[in-house]
Amino acid sequence: MFEQVPFNVAVIDRDYNVVEANQNFKDYFGNWKGKKCYSVYKKLENPCNDCPSEEVFKKGRAVVADAVGVDQHGRKTHYVGHVIPIKNKENDHIDFVMEMTRTVTEINRWQQEYQILFDRVPCYITVIGEDFRIVRANEAFRENFGDVLGEHCYKVYKRRETKCRNCPAEKTFKDGEVHHSTQKGIGKRGQDINYQVSTSALMRGSGDVAHVIEISNDITELKKLEHKVIEAERLSAVGQTVAGLAHSIKNILMGLEGGKYIVSLGLKKNSKEMINQGWEMLDRNFDKTTSLVKDFLSFSKGRLPELQLVDPRDLIYEIIDLYKNIAAQSGIELKTEISEKVKTAPLDPAGIHTCLTNLVSNALDACSMGEQKGTEVLLKLYEGRDKLIFEVTDNGSGIDYEIKSKIFTTFFTTKGGAGTGLGLLTTRKIVQEHGGKILVDSQKGKGAMFRMVFPRKRLLALYKETKDKK
Amino acid sequence: MKKKILIIDDEPDVIAYLMAILQANGYETYSNSNVKNGLELLHDIKPDLICLDIMMPHETGLSFYKRFRQNEEFHQIPVIIISGAIESGKFDFRNYVKDDAIKVPEAYLEKPINVDEFIQSVNHLLETKQLHRSSN
Repeated sequence: MFEQVPFNVAVIDRDYNVVEANQNFKDYFGNWKGKKCYSVYKKLENPCNDCPSEEVFKKGRAVVADAVGVDQHGRKTHYVGHVIPIKNKENDHIDFVMEMTRTVTEINRWQQEYQILFDRVPCYITVIGEDFRIVRANEAFRENFGDVLGEHCYKVYKRRETKCRNCPAEKTFKDGEVHHSTQKGIGKRGQDINYQVSTSALMRGSGDVAHVIEISNDITELKKLEHKVIEAERLSAVGQTVAGLAHSIKNILMGLEGGKYIVSLGLKKNSKEMINQGWEMLDRNFDKTTSLVKDFLSFSKGRLPELQLVDPRDLIYEIIDLYKNIAAQSGIELKTEISEKVKTAPLDPAGIHTCLTNLVSNALDACSMGEQKGTEVLLKLYEGRDKLIFEVTDNGSGIDYEIKSKIFTTFFTTKGGAGTGLGLLTTRKIVQEHGGKILVDSQKGKGAMFRMVFPRKRLLALYKETKDKK
Repeated sequence: MKKKILIIDDEPDVIAYLMAILQANGYETYSNSNVKNGLELLHDIKPDLICLDIMMPHETGLSFYKRFRQNEEFHQIPVIIISGAIESGKFDFRNYVKDDAIKVPEAYLEKPINVDEFIQSVNHLLETKQLHRSSN
C-alpha cells in the first residue's frame, strides 16, 4: 500500500531524518537515504522555520500545510502536505511522522493567474452572497470603494440602507441569468462613479445560485465627456437661437424702416399712395413683431396640454379649410388620406392645430421652393399599434442632412425673412407635451415626410392626470 | 439713360423699401421675389447692378449667384448682398462659396440697412463700373 498511494510518502523521525519513503517520493524529490527532510524537500542546510513535522511531534495531531520546495531537478514546486503522527506500540509516544505530499504547482500557477486577473483587470469585481454581503472584491474595487468585505453591496456601492430597485444581482439570484444595467454609485471619497454592471451566477452543485459575481466598467469619464458634448451642443443651440432671433428682428426692423422711409417720402411728395403703402408696411411689421413675441413666449412657456376628447379627423378638416386656397393659388395639390379606423383621442386641439399648421405651411413652402411641377402636400391620419399617427408629406425641395440634424433643436429657418425659425421647435415641444414624438424623413430635392406619433397609452395617462387635477 | 437695378428678395417689404430709395435717387428698378428664372431675368432686364438677398442659410440665392458669376455675359454685373444673417464686419463670402474662381460680391450690407450707406455703395459701384468700362 505504501508503494501504491498516489502521493509522495515519507516517514521522518524526531531528528528530521527520512527513514522511509515510497517510489513516488524518490521520483519526485530524488534520493533520500541518509538525508534530512529539509535537505530532501527544500534542499536546505537547516530545518525549516515553520516545520509541520515539529508541530505534529509537539501537538500529537495531524497537520495540513502547504509549502514551496525544490524537486530533484532543482525546480521550484508547490505542494500540500498532510503530516500524521505514528505512535509506538504503547501508543504513548510519537516516534515518527508520516508526510504525504501532493504537488499543486499547476493549480497554484492557475490560482496566481486568476488572482492577478481578478485584481488587475481594469474593472470592479465583487462576489456577492445571498444576503447581499460582499464576499470578495478586487483591487480596483477596493481602491475606489474602500476595503469593504462583509458589508452589504448596496451600502458600499451606493451608501444605501436598503436594497436598490431593479438590482441586477437580485435578478441573477432569481433566474441564474446574466443581467446588465447602468448605475451610479458613490466612491469612498464621496465621488460619483458611473458604471455599467453585468451580473453572473456562481452555481452550487445543486444548480442553485450560491453567489453572484458583479463585474462593472467605470464609465464616469465617458459620462463626463458625454455631458461636455451635450453642454457644448446646448450652448451652440442657444447661440443659434439668439442668432435666429436677431435675424428675425433684423428683417422686421428692415420692414419698419422701409415703411417709415416710404411714409416720409410720401409726405414730402404729397403722395397719398406712398403714404398708404408705407403705412401698410409699418402695420404689417408691427403685426410681425407681435406674432414673433407671441411665438417666442408660447415656446418658452412650459405647460401641460389641455386635453379633451376630440375626433382627430376634425383637426385635419380644419387645416384643409385653412390652406386649400393658399395651396390652390400656388398650384399645389392639398390631399388627405384618413383611415376609417381612427378613433377619438384625448388631444389638445389648439396645440395639434398649431403643429399641423406649422407642418403644412412648411410643406407648402417647400413645394414653392422646389423647381418641379405637380407638387402636392398629403395629410395622412391613421392608427398604428396603439398609436395615433399624423403625417404630412410633400414632394417639394426636401431637406439636406446637415439641416435635418438642426431643425428640431435650434431656432432654425431657411426662409429668410419669412420665418421666425420657431415652427418646428414649437411643434416638437407640443408633440412631446402629449407624450409623443416627431420624426422626419427627407432627402434634398426629394420632398419630406414629417410624422407625429402619439402613443394612446400615454395620451390616456395624461388625460387622467389632467382630469384628476380638475 | 437711367441705370437699371434689379432687386431680388423674398420679402415684399424689403423690395418696396429698396425700390423707394433707389427710385428717389434716380434709378430704374426691377424686382423679383425668387431666382427661379434668374438668368432669363438678367437677359430681359440687363441690369447695371443687382441687390441680392442670399436668404441664408437657404442656398437658392447663393446657387443663383454662382450660376450668374460663371455666365460670360453677366458675370461683370456688380452685386450688393443684403442680408440679415450675418453682421457686416463678419461676412466672409468664402465661408459660403469656397470656389476661388467665383468672384466675391462687390459689397455686403446688413439688414436693416443705412440708407446713406446703401445709396453711396450703389453710386460708387456704378461709377466704378462706368470707369472700368470706359477704360476698356
